Amino acid sequence: MKKNSIWKDAFKTLSKDKWAMISLGIVLIYSLIALLSATGLIAADWAQEVGTSNLPPSAEHFFGTDIFGRSVLTKVIRGTQVAMSVGLATSLIAIPIGVILGALAGYFGGWVDDIITWLYTTFSSIPNIMLLISITMILGKGLFAIYVALGATSWVTLCRLIRGEVMKHKEREYVQAATAIGGGHMRKLFLHILPNVSHIVIINTSLQFQIAIKSEVILSYLGLGVQGEPSWGTMIDDAKLELARGVWWQLAGATIAMFLVVLAFNLLGDALRDALDPKLKGK
Amino acid sequence: MKSLVLLFYGILFLSWGCSKDRNFDERELHLISPEAIAGFDPIHASDMYSGNEMGKVYEGLFEFHPLKRPYELMPNLAESLPEVSADGLTYTFKFKKGVQFHDSPAFKDGKGRELKSDDILYSLKRLADPKLQAKGWWLFDDKIIGLNEWKDKNAPLEATNYDEEIEGLKKIDDYTLIIKLKKPYPQFLYALAMPYSFIVAKEAVDHFGKEFLNHPVGTGPFILPVFEQSNRIVYTKNPNFREKFYPSEGEEGDDKLGLLADAGKKIPMVDKIIVDIVVQSQPKWLSFQKAKADLLEIPKDNFDQAVIGGKELSEELKGKGIRLFANPQLDTTFFAFNHDDPLFKNKKLRQAMSMAWNREEANKLFYNSAALEAQSVIPPGLGGYRKDFKNPYVKFDVGQSKKLLAEAGFPNGKGLPFITVQTRNETVARQVIEHFAKNLSKVGIKIKVGMNTWPELVNKVTKRQHQMYTMGWGADYPDAENFLGLLYCPNSSPGSNGSNYCNPNFDNLFKTATILQESPERNALYEKMNEMIANESPWIFGFHRTKFYLSQAWLKNYKFMEFNHSQFQYLNVDLEVKKELSKKF
Repeated sequence: MKKNSIWKDAFKTLSKDKWAMISLGIVLIYSLIALLSATGLIAADWAQEVGTSNLPPSAEHFFGTDIFGRSVLTKVIRGTQVAMSVGLATSLIAIPIGVILGALAGYFGGWVDDIITWLYTTFSSIPNIMLLISITMILGKGLFAIYVALGATSWVTLCRLIRGEVMKHKEREYVQAATAIGGGHMRKLFLHILPNVSHIVIINTSLQFQIAIKSEVILSYLGLGVQGEPSWGTMIDDAKLELARGVWWQLAGATIAMFLVVLAFNLLGDALRDALDPKLKGK
Repeated sequence: MKSLVLLFYGILFLSWGCSKDRNFDERELHLISPEAIAGFDPIHASDMYSGNEMGKVYEGLFEFHPLKRPYELMPNLAESLPEVSADGLTYTFKFKKGVQFHDSPAFKDGKGRELKSDDILYSLKRLADPKLQAKGWWLFDDKIIGLNEWKDKNAPLEATNYDEEIEGLKKIDDYTLIIKLKKPYPQFLYALAMPYSFIVAKEAVDHFGKEFLNHPVGTGPFILPVFEQSNRIVYTKNPNFREKFYPSEGEEGDDKLGLLADAGKKIPMVDKIIVDIVVQSQPKWLSFQKAKADLLEIPKDNFDQAVIGGKELSEELKGKGIRLFANPQLDTTFFAFNHDDPLFKNKKLRQAMSMAWNREEANKLFYNSAALEAQSVIPPGLGGYRKDFKNPYVKFDVGQSKKLLAEAGFPNGKGLPFITVQTRNETVARQVIEHFAKNLSKVGIKIKVGMNTWPELVNKVTKRQHQMYTMGWGADYPDAENFLGLLYCPNSSPGSNGSNYCNPNFDNLFKTATILQESPERNALYEKMNEMIANESPWIFGFHRTKFYLSQAWLKNYKFMEFNHSQFQYLNVDLEVKKELSKKF
């Protein structure tokens, strides 16, 4: 009997899950919007005035206008680009750090493990937002600083998970078999073990993505984030005062946009875990 | 949607905590301060929020009359205004007898002792103590004979020697003091009325050491045994406060406003002052609505709700007996260039930038059109301000701006780098720059926003690490020197001239004018300097703001005061009215 690979199986499980597919769709739409905005095809003119100050939503201005008469919809789109880019860049920084450190610690154990464990426990003992604030203080403010700050702080969970998983796998028969035929450490670790724990990376990325998006919004709300570009965080910051005038559309636009993508990533992450984690099979 | 908005308010409101039910037995004054303060050491009272808190427990030699306008200095701890020698250099001060410090474990038996000349000498010397790095040192720097020398001499020593006599600070007896100045200093008495110069007791400083800033021991009308960093400060009436009375005369019309009803009564009249520290504007607004605050500066976004048509109080608020006060401020807001940057040596560029900014629109967006466009640095209400003077470079004129920009060598902004404007990390502060950037982009100038915490911003300005920044300056005392000094070359960073602007002609006039006593001659010089500055555009001038306050019906004797740190002792609460009106809240 031919057995399907874990990936094929996972895809099959996933495609049966309606909510997971909707979430995936939402994530793809957001990615597409971000991509189009980044290439300047849409929302390039976000700084343009399209009407007078604080116009309520209408057929002409779908989400209304902000204090300077700019379209809130365009700002939400531009904010999507910022948020998605933060999620992506953070993952690109955090995944290699988390995977490599976790794999090394789990595989070699001993003093290597001690050092790496010390490093990530120290990191995780510092309140996240404090660490983020101090990193943005050092690097100066802006998108780049956010990428680095979030990337440098969000590898810990992944590292811990990979470490545990690698520890488990290094005792397995297939690894022992690789040792028996003379495989070196690096070969065993990167060619044999890692592919078998890579589902963790995928699940984790999906969850990490939305944490990065939320952190960006919080930092921008606090004024430590993106400067001179629309961000959902700065939009909510604006809205905080405008609400008193009854201007709710900026808050609504930013929070709905954020709510959808965060929820989608969460549902997707859960579904991925259900599909990819063998232990949860057949629950 | 309204209910959603209300829900949002509700959450905000809950998040800063609820207070007890109203108290109708004691006269409690409920105030809101928008910023947390660092502590109670007067020599560091550089911002008005700290000054306002310290003014409740500490006192200075002089204070501003709570009712008279223009502002008039009156003796407080001093017995009378000092005798001044003909050359304006020697001041003889006499002090009130029987002024007691608050009871404190710092004193023998825990009983407060009488204030004497030594305390005044000590407090002034503390400002110069090199170990303390007092923020208020600039007030007396190079002013009093021997004080700078004393400061320098003590810098390398392990402990500052306070016992050494200084030529310019001479004690005659326990209640008399002579201060000798190096050169005329017409603002000297104003300096002695500022929170920096409040009088402290040496025993308290020694006893509490580093903790002194949390244990204010003054002579003031209220006591605060321990200051804890929290969101609420509660002061109680000082039972041993000397005989001090509510003034019996004020400005014309004060009588009609009921401001003289308490004339001759002993102050303070309230038993307690409760100050809640509330940073966000919506919770502030809500707590006033719930009668949990007696006085409120109207947050800009609630303005339309409170003040109909920009003039009249809304019926709802009127029905609760709430009163509206519109108070033009002695302040100037500005965008400052860093003149260290060769780019900004180009006068035409500065002028072009100034003319590209639509101030009328900014006024509407940020100040509900109630601010006055600044023509130059001096605000109305001070000598040197001329109502009919118009600065041609603050006019909004895109065409002219483009022309000047081309003449400056940057046609349509070509060749100009991104210019970063630093500001405070606050929503409206950011929006102001975004508006400025939006305007300037229309002539081709690209502006970026730089957001900073308040200490970060001050640090950048002090260390000259900025291209441009924006701020407002409020008067420390009613003399235009306080504003013109912001552009005086020797005051460059780390001094108050954060733009590092240097203009020898201006500096010469400044030197001549500031040693003159108030006179038409001095005002003429101030006017000349003000116009010179307008022409040179070393800053982009913003606004002279008007603040709008609401007061509850039961708050008595409130009159707007620019230098309000000593004002709280004169306020009163009408419990009958409060009881009656509280039903409406």
